[in-house]
Amino acid sequence: MTTATQETPWYFRPTTILIAGCLVAIINFGVRSTFGLFTLPISTAHQWPRETYSFAIALQNLMWGIGTPLAGMLADRYGSARVLMAGAVLYAVGVFGMNYSDSGPMMDFTAGLLVGLGIALSSFSIVMAALGRLVPPEKRSWAFGLATASGSMGQALFIWPVGQIVSNSGWNAGLVALAVSALVIIPLSVPLLVQNTSKSAHAKGETSLPMGQAVAEAFGHRSYLLLVAGFFVCGFQLAFITVHFPPYLAEHGISKEIAWAAMLLIGLCNVVGAYTSGIIGGRGVKRIPLSAIYLARAALYTLFILLPISTTTTLLFAAAIGLLWLSTVPLTMGLVTVMFGTRYMATLYGFVFLSHQIGSFLGVWLGGRLYDYYGSYDPVWWMSVALGVFAGIVHLPIREHRAQAFAAV
Amino acid sequence: MNGSGHRFALIFFGSVLLIWLAGMALFVRHSALPPEASGTMLAVFEPSTSQERAVTAIATAGGNIVKKSGLDFVWVVQGDEPGLAGRLKAAGALGAYRELPISPALAGCFAVADAKVEAAFD
Repeated sequence: MTTATQETPWYFRPTTILIAGCLVAIINFGVRSTFGLFTLPISTAHQWPRETYSFAIALQNLMWGIGTPLAGMLADRYGSARVLMAGAVLYAVGVFGMNYSDSGPMMDFTAGLLVGLGIALSSFSIVMAALGRLVPPEKRSWAFGLATASGSMGQALFIWPVGQIVSNSGWNAGLVALAVSALVIIPLSVPLLVQNTSKSAHAKGETSLPMGQAVAEAFGHRSYLLLVAGFFVCGFQLAFITVHFPPYLAEHGISKEIAWAAMLLIGLCNVVGAYTSGIIGGRGVKRIPLSAIYLARAALYTLFILLPISTTTTLLFAAAIGLLWLSTVPLTMGLVTVMFGTRYMATLYGFVFLSHQIGSFLGVWLGGRLYDYYGSYDPVWWMSVALGVFAGIVHLPIREHRAQAFAAV
Repeated sequence: MNGSGHRFALIFFGSVLLIWLAGMALFVRHSALPPEASGTMLAVFEPSTSQERAVTAIATAGGNIVKKSGLDFVWVVQGDEPGLAGRLKAAGALGAYRELPISPALAGCFAVADAKVEAAFD
């Protein structure tokens, strides 16, 4: 053991930082994954049509997308820990405030605006930015995979206990429990204070460009634009499945229990897929596996809609799409760091993620809109296939080396 | 990535799961309905319980089957006579719990609590 290690407090050691970062990812994703449980009780309590609460949650997702580049800018300037802590406060206040939101606009403010921004500021992309700077380059992709897999796991871990609280003690108690959970992010962020970028000069090997110029240069970089375009497709495909897959299954005679099992299977396989993708990304080029993921999704979607839908095909599809679910994230984040280094990685990933959320919004909205028009989900399934092929192609010309303007000085 | 990284991941995820399972075991025990409870509830039997055995136990307890869950050992049961939860336990159930307000919606990258999702299965 080296002298440096002996002098480093346990809470600033790499293992502690990794664990803390992954726990933040679990809580951040876990809390937000439970909001569907509140649709019925909150709508019933306030005698609202379900669209009122649904709109607030849709707004939350847009705010998450808009807030992510802003959160990234703050994280790149002041360090991830402070941003995570501020995000935890916003998240908790927003969730707690949902208890007192007795009108649509109030719910939009708490569940939509505050929670959406809270999620953005305390999200796993901010954690990944810290880990990206802390771990050596050869372990970076693995760390991204670990953080992404943790977020995936959070989705599975929170649903049942929160459902039990809502069921036994009411939705108000459930929201209080979630607000308290969000606050736990604050102490868990302390180890990440070691990666404090404020007042510090830019790291060796990183660009000296100011932030505004770095963002402008990135948007003038062809490979970055291709990545932004590709991640739009990821959002479109997953959001469509998230919202429209269960009713699609119901239409084809699949029971609620099988639909539940399918969604659970997606969640579990997602953990494996995200982690594995991080490992693959660390072994060499990232654009090829990323392209392969999108092409595999297109192939899966095609098979699923062409084959007769049964319990077996539903579960097989769920397991396969689960493996490909968030597996795009470590590779996409990895490509951002390859092209631009780590100094502005949170900001630049934030803009890529904004594109993802716009895709998500369109996937959900078009899914409903075209269903109402055509009476079938088939047009959007085929649109997802076409977009998958498009994303598979656009990732191939990405150049996996440092952009010239970001060359080390 | 070398073996130490995978070992770390395995230990981390394994530990989180173990802590979660332990917490849930305590939680479930605590959240079981009191013996005097009645109304709609989930009757949970041992996983090895046959369908016939579960149905007989529910009938013995004076409950009406509302529906079967996706699992053979978990049934949605209804009964207005006070003490249904206690009678189910006496008849062989592990416990009785309130039905969860869960819809089959996954909160992935776009967690919308869409009315259509719930309505589709009503």
